[in-house]
Amino acid sequence: MRTLVFIPAWNEEASIAGVIGDVRRALPQAEVLVIDDGSADATAARAREAGALVASLPFNQGLGAALQTGYLYAMREGHDFCAHLDADGQHPADEVARLLEEVFADRADLVIGSRYFAGGEGQGEGAPGSDEYKPTISRRIGTSVFRFFLTLATRQRFTDTTSGMRAANRRVMALFSEHYSPDFAEIESLQLAVRQGLRVEEVPVRMLQRADGSSFLTPLRSAFFIFKGMIVLLVGQFRPRPPESGEGPGQVPPEPGDAGPIGKRVEAER
Amino acid sequence: MNGLLLAAQSPKVHLTPQARILAAAIAVAFMAMILELIRRDRLQERYSVVWFVAGLGMLAGAAFPGLLGLVADAMGVRNTNVALFSIVLLLLLGLALNFSVIMSRQAAQITRLAQERAIERAREQAGGGRNGEGASAQPAERDPA
Repeated sequence: MRTLVFIPAWNEEASIAGVIGDVRRALPQAEVLVIDDGSADATAARAREAGALVASLPFNQGLGAALQTGYLYAMREGHDFCAHLDADGQHPADEVARLLEEVFADRADLVIGSRYFAGGEGQGEGAPGSDEYKPTISRRIGTSVFRFFLTLATRQRFTDTTSGMRAANRRVMALFSEHYSPDFAEIESLQLAVRQGLRVEEVPVRMLQRADGSSFLTPLRSAFFIFKGMIVLLVGQFRPRPPESGEGPGQVPPEPGDAGPIGKRVEAER
Repeated sequence: MNGLLLAAQSPKVHLTPQARILAAAIAVAFMAMILELIRRDRLQERYSVVWFVAGLGMLAGAAFPGLLGLVADAMGVRNTNVALFSIVLLLLLGLALNFSVIMSRQAAQITRLAQERAIERAREQAGGGRNGEGASAQPAERDPA
């Protein structure tokens, strides 16, 4: 059983070594791949020094393309499972390990680490979900808008649609390595996975305040970001499904009685 | 009272001979330019067809000004200028969209190319002497070196 943990990084020379060290400590058996998205600084060199493999994109291609590179690598190299996390130190590797447990146990095909979702199983020790992470206002608005529309589109409740901490198995790799929107990676990929009949699950995780650098979202940009995201979601609903698909149209609003653990939705597929 | 009759006769569009000659010359020059671009490998044939059609359209308009009047009547537009501009505008819109489609396809191709290259580099690194605990995590190495 081989696992790949990949980290998309763009100009993260300050934090990348720490993140790699954290992953290697928490997941010693996993292979670590840094996808250097055309960084202008020493990100690739730092990552190599820290013992990670580095896939350097020759020029900056954006987060979606970087993530897809990771899925493609995992697929090609025959990894059974993969996970990814952000390079800025927001995501503790121990939490990534918890996400991986879910796919190891085959409870889901794709697992999302949610910083908002406080319900569910993890309430006991440490109470993940209620945490050090404090989102900015524009981030919070954007998140709730996307949450609403993604829920509408997928009929499954998602709390942290833009989370960059995920774990996946080979079925997801096969899908994402071929179909991954370069522009709106996080949200559209969720929609795609659900439409494809994959089991997508959210797990509450603890996230840290970003160590360094600030979010790219100014109010104007986030308004544009939200608008763009809504268009992407709308179009995604009409996109033809790639071949080996599941069934069922996705246009009905969420079912009220969809009880059970949030985000759990075992499709009849497979 | 004039519709049917006017559609049959041409002189609804008034072009002076100078204007017609000028339009024809521009159309010919335009197509010559397209040819030249192809000849110098600056333009690929598959993207040139549409421009030739545009050039031919210009030429036809110059040679038979009555055509435009017919088209305007068919569209139900009284003013032939409006008809002309609407048609050209729509064509340009279609062309621009066509280019966006081509651009998107090429962007996707470039992205995939970059990804393949990146993966290749990571593989080289994995194959070439990398040691440490990470290396033991990947027993299934491609080349048994």
